[in-house]
Amino acid sequence: MLPWVYEFHWTAFHITFLLIFFTVFVVVVSTVILAMRRTQQAEKDNTMESIQWHSDFDDLSPAFKVCRHELNGDVKHRVCDHGFDCRSCTVHPLLVSKQQKHPLLQFEVYGFTMPPYRMYHRGHTWVQEENDGTYKIGIDDFGTRILGRAYSVELPPVGTRLSVNGKGMLVKKSNMNIRILSPIDGEVIEQGDSEKGWYLKVKADDSKKVTAHLLKGEEIPNWILRELERLQISFATCGVGATLADGGELAPDFHRHYPKADWDGVIGQMFLEA
Amino acid sequence: METTADKKYKYGMVIDLDKCNGCGSCAVACAVENNVPPALEKMNKRNGLTWLNVSTVSSNEQFPKSESVFVPMFCQQCEKETPCMTVCPQNAVDVDPTTGIVGQIPQRCLGCRYCMTACPYHARYFNWWDPEWTEGMKQQLNPDVSPRMRGVVEKCNFCHGRLHAAKQKAASLGNREIDPLDYNPACVESCPNKAITFGDLNDGGTSVAQLAKSENTFRFLSRLGTEPKVYYHSEKKWVQEMAEKSMTRTHVANEPAKEEYHG
Amino acid sequence: MDKILIPRGLQRTSFGNFLMWILPWTAMLAVGVYAIYLCLAEGLFHTNMDNRFAFGIWIFLDLTVIALGAGAFFTGFLLYILRRKELKAVINSAVVIGLICYSGAVLVLAVDVGQPMRAWFTFWHPNVHSMLTEVTFCLTCYLIVLLIEYIPIVLKNRQLRQIPKFLVFEFQLHKLMPVFAGIGTFLSFFHQGSLGGLFGVLRGRPFAFREELGIWPSTFFLFVISAAAAGPSFIMLTTWLVEKITRKQLVKPEVYKFLGKVSGTMLIAYVLLKSIDTLFWINSTSPGNGFPAFEFYATQSFGTWILFTEIVFFGLLPALVLLNSRLRENRKILLGAGFLVCSGIMLNRFVMTIQTLALPTLPFDDFLTYSPSWEEVATFLFVVAYGMLLYSLTYRYSVIFPQERELSQMNGELSQQEFADGGSRRPFWQPKFVTDLLNKFVSTKL
Repeated sequence: MLPWVYEFHWTAFHITFLLIFFTVFVVVVSTVILAMRRTQQAEKDNTMESIQWHSDFDDLSPAFKVCRHELNGDVKHRVCDHGFDCRSCTVHPLLVSKQQKHPLLQFEVYGFTMPPYRMYHRGHTWVQEENDGTYKIGIDDFGTRILGRAYSVELPPVGTRLSVNGKGMLVKKSNMNIRILSPIDGEVIEQGDSEKGWYLKVKADDSKKVTAHLLKGEEIPNWILRELERLQISFATCGVGATLADGGELAPDFHRHYPKADWDGVIGQMFLEA
Repeated sequence: METTADKKYKYGMVIDLDKCNGCGSCAVACAVENNVPPALEKMNKRNGLTWLNVSTVSSNEQFPKSESVFVPMFCQQCEKETPCMTVCPQNAVDVDPTTGIVGQIPQRCLGCRYCMTACPYHARYFNWWDPEWTEGMKQQLNPDVSPRMRGVVEKCNFCHGRLHAAKQKAASLGNREIDPLDYNPACVESCPNKAITFGDLNDGGTSVAQLAKSENTFRFLSRLGTEPKVYYHSEKKWVQEMAEKSMTRTHVANEPAKEEYHG
Repeated sequence: MDKILIPRGLQRTSFGNFLMWILPWTAMLAVGVYAIYLCLAEGLFHTNMDNRFAFGIWIFLDLTVIALGAGAFFTGFLLYILRRKELKAVINSAVVIGLICYSGAVLVLAVDVGQPMRAWFTFWHPNVHSMLTEVTFCLTCYLIVLLIEYIPIVLKNRQLRQIPKFLVFEFQLHKLMPVFAGIGTFLSFFHQGSLGGLFGVLRGRPFAFREELGIWPSTFFLFVISAAAAGPSFIMLTTWLVEKITRKQLVKPEVYKFLGKVSGTMLIAYVLLKSIDTLFWINSTSPGNGFPAFEFYATQSFGTWILFTEIVFFGLLPALVLLNSRLRENRKILLGAGFLVCSGIMLNRFVMTIQTLALPTLPFDDFLTYSPSWEEVATFLFVVAYGMLLYSLTYRYSVIFPQERELSQMNGELSQQEFADGGSRRPFWQPKFVTDLLNKFVSTKL
């Protein structure tokens, strides 16, 4: 093993054999150490949340990762490969230029109240720009109805830095914890509550690009339709015999109708948590 | 202790099969000399410790012509590409370059038994049981040979304890080399018919070297190319042919060889 | 009950069912533990091995299991080094099976040797010329690599992934996987080969002895290639078995076909080389050592049929089937061929260990027979039970098949229908007729 251990021979064969072994050993150990160092680095650089999202997104099935340009009809079929973050997507700007804007006027979308002046994140939060340039964030009607009645929301304290697809808030319902993704980058400046109808007020970093990835206008009805489909799939795979009528509306106390459902699974999937 | 460093020995043996009457003294002497524990009742021919095993081989002919020969079989001390030594993963088998003796170091042995599958002579034995001696037998253990524990392999080493004693004696007398009369393995000494000749094959003057080169002397499985240092001698044609033959052309005696258990 | 541990959105059987499933395996494990205790505490006389049959069922099955576990390295090699993305669907399964096979084999080896506490001697003063040294070094290193590859699968568990550090570590480790895949391939090449070399170098056993090519006997290369052929087939069979047991589709059909194709390609190369090697051995190596090769087959049970079965029936036949794209379409034929490949590997390892030792070498030797003791069988069954448990636990509490979500959603409509109709799902451990009877006479749902 080592030159001073008995039965060590200074022959080419012996040295080669041990060199190969030590090399393999060093490579394996140093690779593990490298992974640990990178983990520490990610902790320092605050990139842990984006990695977590990356991992969650990776575990979503392709049917759950429909590109927004499929929603608004720009392309026939496309699976998002950017974690629903169009800001860094190379395909998005090419398609945006072709896009023709049809402003949406209706409030009611398949029975959900989705005001057209708000922008929506795929994790069922909305963003509304205030006159002073700050943004309000809330959980959208679809999300609220899935969560049902009794739940509490844990909000990040004022001054917290939020990042897109990072943890925005935490919903607690019976014994489940569901993290709600933050729709935008920015700093929390005020906490709201369900009475006020919004949860967070955020001062965004860069007003120009901050909402580029959010769904708006004509994308919303198609998205909601897809979400209903997704909900149906979630029900089917989460072990309930419940089927939603096509285009059916979700009753506010939707929960009580399906007490046997694996709500943890359904809610988790709908809020994009693996 | 390295007083004999200059001279290179090559210890070997010639066994005269015509003189062997299968009495088994060699096997008993071997076991006593080397602290081989007595066989337990549960042991059988295949899992007991018989460093030296005498097999009976029949000429397989009809009654009046029928003949048989006794073949003492033990470690043949292969000189070239020693099969057991090359395969041992942790150097528990060594070939002493000064004596040519293939040694087993039980203290290093892992008990993987790879050497046993490598040995074509089946001369290696594994301690399947814990060794046990009766109180009286414990008194008679040979202090020059350390007993082996369960789970290791052991085999003939040309009575290493005796070689060691001979070296010590030579050193105490101020000699660099041992007196050949001081070193003879137990089986050689115990044979009542003096069928076994032992000595240095490198020294052309010894009777063993001359016998090894003589006509009608042969080795088992010599075609494997491992150059064993244990020779057999017989004037009988069928015995010589038997040694050269491989398995199916020789018919084994129907009756299994009588085992010579010691103790 | 254990719901919080089960991956979100995936269906797992009820906790009670799961207990019923693991109960027999746990019992088997317990019997194995007792047998292992007997062998370690009292001695190896509990086995039916002896001085002539120094290797027995343990070594034979270790060789088999390690060959079947080769799917881990070969799949890793194809996925991470050659970038065959379709294998992503089975890589986790391959890693878990590899881990089970290798750790099981090492465990049995530890029981098999007389003084397991001295295993470190091989590292401290190795005989680098011994094939077993190469095996020990590579097996140890590769087991460590497999454990590292297994970590991300465990960290994907729903509760563990809640801990940000774990999830990020898993991510970082996963990014470095090609390094481990490369090292694993390198190590596997050597130890699969050395396991073959183990017998090829036995100069004293002319039945096993083969000429050297470079520094290794030809069996070195044959073992590497045959393991690479058997690994994918074994993954194919195990995946199918898991699908049968869980009554779910877990991978897409293309994956099966691709595995079959890989297996067939390696197998045809193996059959070719094995044939050349056998012919060379019959005509040159063996007679050169004074043992005409056909004498080995003249004894009792091991006739030339064994050679024929190994090369033609378990080799050429499945290779041709697996290489035919139309036959691969048929799942039954595909799996049948995979089964033949795995059987062939098993037979080959059997021949190398058991037949080698059964055949006489000295002119007055007998042909030997050996049958394992219950302790030997139980020790091996311990590995089977341990494998079943580890796989079941990993499957239940983590995601082994990444396509499971997607496929369960695709098949969602179907299962929904099933729920609506039958109301109750038959527990997998219950024979169908029992369920039918219960449904007939007992109107209450199970």
